[in-house]
Amino acid sequence: MRKHHLILALVFAIVLSYSGTAVAQTKQPSEAPNVLSPDQARDLSGVWMQDRPRMGTVLARYWIYELTQEEPPMTAWGEAQFKAAKSSYGTHSFPIAETNDPIYRSCSPPGFPRAFFHAFPLQIVHVPGEVIMLFEWDSVRHQIFTDGRPHDTTLGPLWMGDSIGHWEGDTLVADTVNFNTKTWLDRIGHPHSDALHVVERIHRTDHEHLVDEITIDDPKAYTRPWTGRIYFVLKPKWTLAEEFCEDKESFQSIENQETTPAK
Amino acid sequence: MCKYQLVIALTCALCFSPARAQDKKPPSTANAPVSGQSRDLSGVWMLDRPRLITVVARYWTYEFNPQEPSMTAWGEAQYKLTKSSFGTRSYPVAETNDPVFQACTPPGFPRIFLHPLPMQIFQTPGEVTMLFEWDSVSHPIHTDGRPHDKTLGPLWMGDSIGHWEGNTLVADTVNFNTKTWLDRIGHPHSEALHVVERIQRIDHDHLVDDITIDDPKAYTKPWTGQLVFVLKPTWTLAEQFCEEQDTFGEIENKETAPAK
Repeated sequence: MRKHHLILALVFAIVLSYSGTAVAQTKQPSEAPNVLSPDQARDLSGVWMQDRPRMGTVLARYWIYELTQEEPPMTAWGEAQFKAAKSSYGTHSFPIAETNDPIYRSCSPPGFPRAFFHAFPLQIVHVPGEVIMLFEWDSVRHQIFTDGRPHDTTLGPLWMGDSIGHWEGDTLVADTVNFNTKTWLDRIGHPHSDALHVVERIHRTDHEHLVDEITIDDPKAYTRPWTGRIYFVLKPKWTLAEEFCEDKESFQSIENQETTPAK
Repeated sequence: MCKYQLVIALTCALCFSPARAQDKKPPSTANAPVSGQSRDLSGVWMLDRPRLITVVARYWTYEFNPQEPSMTAWGEAQYKLTKSSFGTRSYPVAETNDPVFQACTPPGFPRIFLHPLPMQIFQTPGEVTMLFEWDSVSHPIHTDGRPHDKTLGPLWMGDSIGHWEGNTLVADTVNFNTKTWLDRIGHPHSEALHVVERIQRIDHDHLVDDITIDDPKAYTKPWTGQLVFVLKPTWTLAEQFCEEQDTFGEIENKETAPAK
């Protein structure tokens, strides 16, 4: 029994170091005996919430504002953009009154993949030809077309990008391009250009857990593609609530929630 | 033998009686079944209206009923203050005080129905949800038996619960904030607004939503409008955010262009 745990821990450590994250997980994607059938595995539906260990320091809770704890490798252009961003998050944070975060200034849409970092649930639904992620934050949508259509090159640049997907076994591979340049990549101000290309590999590891492995590929902003993972846990009793940036009260209460010590 | 075959033929003819003879105008709901065809309301839907040219005749682009609802004194006062870019007493967009035009605030409910972009319905156990293309707004109707949630502060889209009566979805929405117009022409509502919808799929391609506006602070009695939608089987929702000034301009152009 002990050997089993040790081997698992080693495997997990290898997997983590390979993926470039340095999170010490207290809870790993389940190796529980309830293996999903192929139909179940391809059913991503439900209300999901980011599933992260509760750690105390701002630095350790990087997933609140960025995809990986390590700094991604930026080009000179990327570095310049990043320097100009004044975020209210992270170790170089500014007070809200001084931030130039576009969301705080004018409630503009968060964009994609930034929508993942707003600490609210998301709901996944399957409709014919699409898998839709509905975010509680500002009710934005990440629509992944699975009906075989190619990217739509007639569309102007989009806040959430243009996303098409296909299944590889039990993994939904979603490919998103055609972004506008009005958003930050995350909440700490990492940059992206209109050349941003996001690839997700989304996999339901068991009934209650979902993993989205996100690759950021933007040769104008980063010297190479880089990857992070977002883990979700199923919330069977939750439904999405209304959440509009315009509500100053809720905005302030979010701030309060995020700065209070973890329970 | 001959008579028997005749009876069969007549019976079969009745079975195939047409449900949708008209292509061009929305079907009359006067003879519609008491309850819809099925409880499956899913699909992408678009407001379905005859193409008339005059602004007054195209009331459905900005209000629920061509007749002026009967307003209270308070309601009338609110209405007078509004400067809409729609209707017969319209202002140029630059002069309007429409909160959506001024600051891209959420349009709220039921105003969202009047923005001429498609809407998608999907159903999960416990919810019927309308997704609107305009500004990515969502109107979830909880059908799992929960009561209204009194712990919520006032909402842009209200708090909506529903139940089935036959194949008609009856949705009841309360708890609105006061930051929105009821429609696009500036009719008012208060926090006492109570919206009841009776939604039925009268045939495969048509959805009807009978909306009752009940707001004793703004109106002297409840009043009703009717929205008719047609199914768009090849459509999917596009991205549409108010912040995009270009898109906004396009919508304006679409709405004022002569009908084809």
